[in-house]
Amino acid sequence: MFADGLFMLFAVLAVLGAAGLVLFRHPMNGAMSFVITLISLAGLYALLSAKLIFALQLIVYAGAIMSLIVFIIMFLNIQPEDLPKEEGKLLNILGALIIVAPIGYFLVKIVNRLPNATTELLGNNFGGVKPVGLLLFKDWLVPFEIVSILLLVSLMGALLLAGKKKEVSK
Amino acid sequence: MSQLDILLIVSRVCFGAFVPLCFIAVCVWMERRGAAFFQDRSGPNRANICGFRAGGLVQNLADAVKLITKEDIIPGHLKHKFYFVLAPCIVFCIAIASFAAIPFADVMKIGGKEYIMQTIPTDLGILWFLALAGFGVYGIILAGWSSHNKYGVLGGLRAAAQVISYEIPMGLAIVSALIVYGTVNLTGIAQFQGQLLFGFIPMWGVVLQPLGAIIFIVAAFAEANRTPFDLAEGESELVAGFHVEYSSMKFGMFFMGEYVAMFTNAAIIVTLYFGGFQIPWLATETLVAYARPLTVLMMLAVPACGWIFCLWMSKNNRSHYAHESDYRDREVAVYTKIVWGIVAAIDIMLFVYLIAASGGDADRVLVMFLQVFTFLIKTTMMCFVYVWVRWTLPRFRYDQLQRLGWQTLLPLSLLNIFITSAVVVALS
Repeated sequence: MFADGLFMLFAVLAVLGAAGLVLFRHPMNGAMSFVITLISLAGLYALLSAKLIFALQLIVYAGAIMSLIVFIIMFLNIQPEDLPKEEGKLLNILGALIIVAPIGYFLVKIVNRLPNATTELLGNNFGGVKPVGLLLFKDWLVPFEIVSILLLVSLMGALLLAGKKKEVSK
Repeated sequence: MSQLDILLIVSRVCFGAFVPLCFIAVCVWMERRGAAFFQDRSGPNRANICGFRAGGLVQNLADAVKLITKEDIIPGHLKHKFYFVLAPCIVFCIAIASFAAIPFADVMKIGGKEYIMQTIPTDLGILWFLALAGFGVYGIILAGWSSHNKYGVLGGLRAAAQVISYEIPMGLAIVSALIVYGTVNLTGIAQFQGQLLFGFIPMWGVVLQPLGAIIFIVAAFAEANRTPFDLAEGESELVAGFHVEYSSMKFGMFFMGEYVAMFTNAAIIVTLYFGGFQIPWLATETLVAYARPLTVLMMLAVPACGWIFCLWMSKNNRSHYAHESDYRDREVAVYTKIVWGIVAAIDIMLFVYLIAASGGDADRVLVMFLQVFTFLIKTTMMCFVYVWVRWTLPRFRYDQLQRLGWQTLLPLSLLNIFITSAVVVALS
């Protein structure tokens, strides 16, 4: 019962935060409402007893990445006047709605056809640090390493791009 | 849930909430006395209640009254008043919440049940601390940014860059510590440190991970925005940095948040590298087994400590000149009575325990109290190190700060990980 209430709270906050990110004109408001989304997602992970992902969500996304983004907003001192003027906003929204409508229809259909069964949380410390670590580094070692190499490549690509810009400006 | 469960939950939550708050007073007092000691002056010695100064502790009350009764100003030029008010709350609440996963005593076994002595009995441990450490920076960033003031924004920018760059060596130092301990659970980490290396050295983190301990302590100083890393405030160049526009209790929240963060960081350093609640050479089971002889020893040691303290007090708390009626004489007389009263109370309690309750579960409770006491003593000593460093080292320049973080601490912590993992793999 209590968990249900928490789920509703986190779900509503996550959706509201995401809506705020899109709707707020000021970048800082958008960033802060996105932080709320990230925190409530972490709460949803915790409700699923995925402790490690809960902690990582808070450390990596809400803690590190978002504070970097806020840092950039502050650093560049972006004000609403600096943003491009959005003309024909209503038309764009209308067009987007028409395009997204079929997907929404499918989603509603899927949700309606969900079996009305109760689910049990997996016990045995599922989602704790040790089980996830064992899975990641024993059973899925190769995919894990490939993903880390992918990240390294993108990191070096970003570095290269940033370096080139500097030479041009000289 | 039995009554015992509820009692333990309530007492653990109270401990987690009130001990950091009490330590604000202790830390501020220690900071004032420490600063006075290092600068060779007297420190707070005027504020009193009916002539009782409590060694300068009354000065804290005067500070609190001053902060609360000041006018609370929200400057008119602010565009985002909500963030302006939110920022000090974030700093303060995050600092208190990050204490929640720190164990202050070993797992207590009463009536066949095990109670984890943390405010939140989670096994996330150090991850909880890291998650909240990342959040603390929002308070400073928002404060600096919403102040809409060049000094404030510069302070916020510096704080953000500093915290983000020092989180990396801190995380890597923790990684190498975790390789040694084999768990992220802070209770588990503290239990690991109860073992003995070669049979006679306590297996504290600082013995097994000396480099990691140094890196972690330096990074923790930077995370807490304490001198020599307090560039976010930098009163000589930025006036007061991110909190330049704050007054009254909004400033008070930053002030208290800083000291709570100092206490929490000291607690985490103690837990990771100085054995946490472990009394050196006396593991929990040993303590439980020898509870009675230890109690007798304590019944003798407590009066001895009280006697030495009273002697020290009567020697130091007096005028250098001959006075007709020195008000300090009365102070010393009353304090001496209070000290002996406390000593008598402790001895009576220990005596009652020895006669009536020793053996069984009461031993566990006694050991728990001993471990809490040890933990708090160690943490207080670590807080003193914070004060010591603050009044000894001058502030870094900004480029020096970043160079230290990226060019010294980061390679060193990576090297530490390689060496640690090589040794651990070779030994296992």
